[in-house]
Amino acid sequence: MPPSILYHCSCLSSSPHPPPPNLPSSSYSFHPLHTLFFCEECDAVRCNRCVSIEVSSYYCPNCLFEVPSASVRAEKNRCARNCFMCPNCRNTLSVVPSDPPDTGDSRLSMPISSLNEPPFFLYCNHCRWDSAEVGITFEKPTGLAAQLQKYEDSAPDSLEFERLKEHFEPFLRASSLSSTIGGNTTAHASSAAHSHHAHSNSITAAASAALARDIPGVSKYQPLTRTTSGRGGSGKDRSRNKDEMPEYRSRVEISKTSAYGGGEADVELMDHIETIGSIATLEQRWVNSWISPLQTKELKPLRIPLHSKRSKRCPSCTHILIKPEQKAQSVRYKIKLVAANYLPAITVALPHAQKAKAELAKKQLGKSTAAAVEDASISASNMHAGKTYAFHLALSNPLYDPIQVRLSAPRMNVSTAPVKDGSPEKARRPPFAISLPSSGFSVAAFAEAWEYEDDEDMFGVDDGDEFGMKGGRETDGRGKVRTVGVLERRANVTLVGGEVVIGKEARGDVKFNMLVSYTYRSDDPTPSESNDGDGPSSTSKSSSAANKQPEVKTFAFYTVVDLGHIIPRDEPRAETDF
Amino acid sequence: MEPPIYYKRSEYIETDTGNKVSRRATIAGPQNIILGGKTIIANGAIIRGDLRRTGPGHAVVISLGRYCLIGVDCVMRPPYKTYRGNFNYYPMKIGDHVHIGSNTVVEAAQIGNYVEIGKNCVIGKFTIIKDCAKIADGTIIPPNTVVPALSLFAGSPGRFVEDLPESTQEMVEAQTKQYYTRFQPEADAR
Ligand SMILES: [Zn+2]
Ligand SMILES: [Zn+2]
Ligand SMILES: [Zn+2]
Ligand SMILES: [Zn+2]
Repeated sequence: MPPSILYHCSCLSSSPHPPPPNLPSSSYSFHPLHTLFFCEECDAVRCNRCVSIEVSSYYCPNCLFEVPSASVRAEKNRCARNCFMCPNCRNTLSVVPSDPPDTGDSRLSMPISSLNEPPFFLYCNHCRWDSAEVGITFEKPTGLAAQLQKYEDSAPDSLEFERLKEHFEPFLRASSLSSTIGGNTTAHASSAAHSHHAHSNSITAAASAALARDIPGVSKYQPLTRTTSGRGGSGKDRSRNKDEMPEYRSRVEISKTSAYGGGEADVELMDHIETIGSIATLEQRWVNSWISPLQTKELKPLRIPLHSKRSKRCPSCTHILIKPEQKAQSVRYKIKLVAANYLPAITVALPHAQKAKAELAKKQLGKSTAAAVEDASISASNMHAGKTYAFHLALSNPLYDPIQVRLSAPRMNVSTAPVKDGSPEKARRPPFAISLPSSGFSVAAFAEAWEYEDDEDMFGVDDGDEFGMKGGRETDGRGKVRTVGVLERRANVTLVGGEVVIGKEARGDVKFNMLVSYTYRSDDPTPSESNDGDGPSSTSKSSSAANKQPEVKTFAFYTVVDLGHIIPRDEPRAETDF
Repeated sequence: MEPPIYYKRSEYIETDTGNKVSRRATIAGPQNIILGGKTIIANGAIIRGDLRRTGPGHAVVISLGRYCLIGVDCVMRPPYKTYRGNFNYYPMKIGDHVHIGSNTVVEAAQIGNYVEIGKNCVIGKFTIIKDCAKIADGTIIPPNTVVPALSLFAGSPGRFVEDLPESTQEMVEAQTKQYYTRFQPEADAR
């Protein structure tokens, strides 16, 4: 996998520094650039973990029909057309007529509606489950959901659910009345988990009170006391709501009925079990069927759950970052503020690994085994303790104006963090040292025309740079002289070199935080060489304009660069124990 | 920028519109196949343009858009079924910026734009894959499956795993264009 680079999202945290990359938990704070958003209002990066989400439309992932949100609840979030899921393997079921699935010639396979003779049944063309096995057939091949409704509605679970709904109805009505003041109409159908709005609080509380009920064989649900700010003591809330509710009595006392399993009947069944497959798996029982039977042969087909298109908002200022087009299968957006349009994209490469890979590829040329090349290149990208390696960072500018970039790798990740968690061995000597270009460098503006070029000199030599790349291309020799600094400029991409010195006793990964700060000017198209020489990290996360020139802004963000695994000195180079 | 991917100049035929077709690929019924331009058909791929609907006249069996890649040893075969007692093949339509990994068998009816299909997959008959979807390596998509836009499918049978990022279209477009640029004849040596 490595080398790789991920971008930091602070998720509204007040700390200006990202977590040290050697902590496993830091992975939650770093994301690929293309998954991040950018809020212009806050001038900040946002990620999927911190944005607020609203459902903007619902659709069936199989028939692709949009479902108006009004009917979503009535149809229990599932497709009410002809779309069913195989209770056995979750594949989509097909409707087939009952004429015999002809011949033994599987190449001709299932004839799809070849003669159209009733009765029809649902058939899985992956695992060959069919609904006739569980006694479900249809007189006509359309409107199956309606035909199945009676089975579904008479399932004990759904009867119980209806009763619960009835029970909570007065309470829900009361709480929705009070919440209309909040004025948020989009959150009504989304699950409580997705809703970040305060009014869902009481509903959630009521639901958790119901869930806290004892069910034999199911461990007691322990609602977490959520201490989200602005809730005003959810614990108190819950107890009050509980008091208001009359006690709920279930339709059937589950422990006293034998029809739905449990007790002696289950023991009897288990005694005579022949294959493990005859017992439905937890997933099949709880996710794939409208009843939750113990036995596989009783699983019923389920209508396909709806999918949704979602809008995303900045968690801080609530401005919309993502707003999809209404049409279900459109991949366009009315609003799409993604970080890739604001922040320079950075790719990392290890030249020694690339070279090895290229040579291998050349050797393999003519033989059609691409897989072998991939495997071999993995071992070629290894880094050994006690050695020095160059690495390349290619920065591409998405802006229509040139940017001036500074890179720095704050020491903190190697020095402070290990000291705290008390591993003195590591703390004494940082396992590796990173050198990055010390001065700022420019990355040219993005231009539409370059995007569509297919010309040959994409990889050609591009000499004569005003910043003076020393010497020619890589092939001329691998002197250490010019490994750190600007190596190449091409269109809106600047390639810079860095260097890592790996300690003799080093272990683990070469993984470090890198602060990227860039200055851009929104008016003037000429590159600004007059970047005042203040420290790279002095202006962080703020649009502090330099005094001399108006319209110059600086934005800084953290990344984590992973160059790969260090192979310790003593061990043989073949395989590591990680 | 990733390094170039070299091929032997003698091994590929380049068309006027920039399609690059391996001489070691099997193109059956080429008159029934449309390539949109800048599309690469790799070594060992088999494209069955000969499996056409019965009846007179000319018929497009397989159409591929721009910047597509049919990987090494892929099989592209139009879907077929018996309808009202008649066995027939049906056309396969593939959009722009579609990459199909090596060793994958495709019998889809329709594949949209910006679609990535991994290696060692089976895409069953009459499958419909919408724009910007992705099929992970080794996925088995059963016949008649619909893969909605911007969704990742994986497993056997292939099932929905997650929604893909909003910037998928741009990512795939850049990636497929870059691949075409990187795919170039080996410098004269050898
Ligand atoms: Zn975040
Ligand atoms: Zn449907
Ligand atoms: Zn199945
Ligand atoms: Zn904001």
